Amino acid sequence: MFESRIFPAADVARAPERITVMQGQALVSAEPQVELTTVLGSCVALCLFDPDARVGGMNHFLLAEPPAGMPTSAVDEHYGTYLMELLVNQMLGKGARKMRLKAHLYGGANVNRNMMKIGTANAEFARGFLQREGIDLVRSDLGGTAARRVDFRPASGQVRCRTVEDRLAPPVQPIARPAMSTGDVELF
Amino acid sequence: MSNNTRILTVDDSPSMRALLNHALTSQGFDVSQAEDGIAALDWLALNEVDVVITDINMPRLDGFGLIERLREGSRHRDRPILVLTTESSEEKKARAREAGATGWIVKPFDPQKLVAAVRRVAH
Repeated sequence: MFESRIFPAADVARAPERITVMQGQALVSAEPQVELTTVLGSCVALCLFDPDARVGGMNHFLLAEPPAGMPTSAVDEHYGTYLMELLVNQMLGKGARKMRLKAHLYGGANVNRNMMKIGTANAEFARGFLQREGIDLVRSDLGGTAARRVDFRPASGQVRCRTVEDRLAPPVQPIARPAMSTGDVELF
Repeated sequence: MSNNTRILTVDDSPSMRALLNHALTSQGFDVSQAEDGIAALDWLALNEVDVVITDINMPRLDGFGLIERLREGSRHRDRPILVLTTESSEEKKARAREAGATGWIVKPFDPQKLVAAVRRVAH
């Protein structure tokens, strides 16, 4: 199961290999020395862990605002669901089972008071996704106004979340959907 | 015409099925849902459909297996089957084509493009 803190790892002989998870990315690993790390402002990171397969993964997303004509309080659920599915599929590809997945959610701060509450909207989307998918949310640290740094060891499920200076968080402008994958259709 | 088109969506993600259901029913399509390839085969054994839209990565029976099973018999040999997937590799696309898929759509899907594709392949 998930553990809430990272202790000096007696079972890891080598120094941890830190890999930064950037906005829009999803990374999965079963390597004991790997530590996934990210800094979040309004963004949200979902950490998934399968305690039987000893594999874990993290994504980092800030959902684009919805298309014109949609309520501005909403987020782009098509893109959000896609980013979540990317992470889940990578986990399944490494031997995880969906029914065994345990989830942590972090981030979703409303760092910039002049913007819409995009952090809250992203956090609500992530919670709703986990609920719909039947994935167990075992810990969350969401909302507020402070940026967070998350360090996650995917092979053990150990995670540490701490607040950091806002200047360390990436810019809070929602990114547009990737131009490469916007539902292009190819008929054979 | 589209009001009579019956679609089966096959995806293991309830979130994705909900998005598909909303996008298609709002355009007047008659939509049914299955959570994987086995559930789709069970449903298709008892029901008629005009178009199948299927994910690739699913438990029990994936999208490739579903397409192959449907193409084995005469009943669904010419049924339009659209693949809707996060997979972007040419290898996977080629495998879907060889299995007998009618088209390939990459997620995140654009509802308008999806509806246009369904209308184009529906007979």
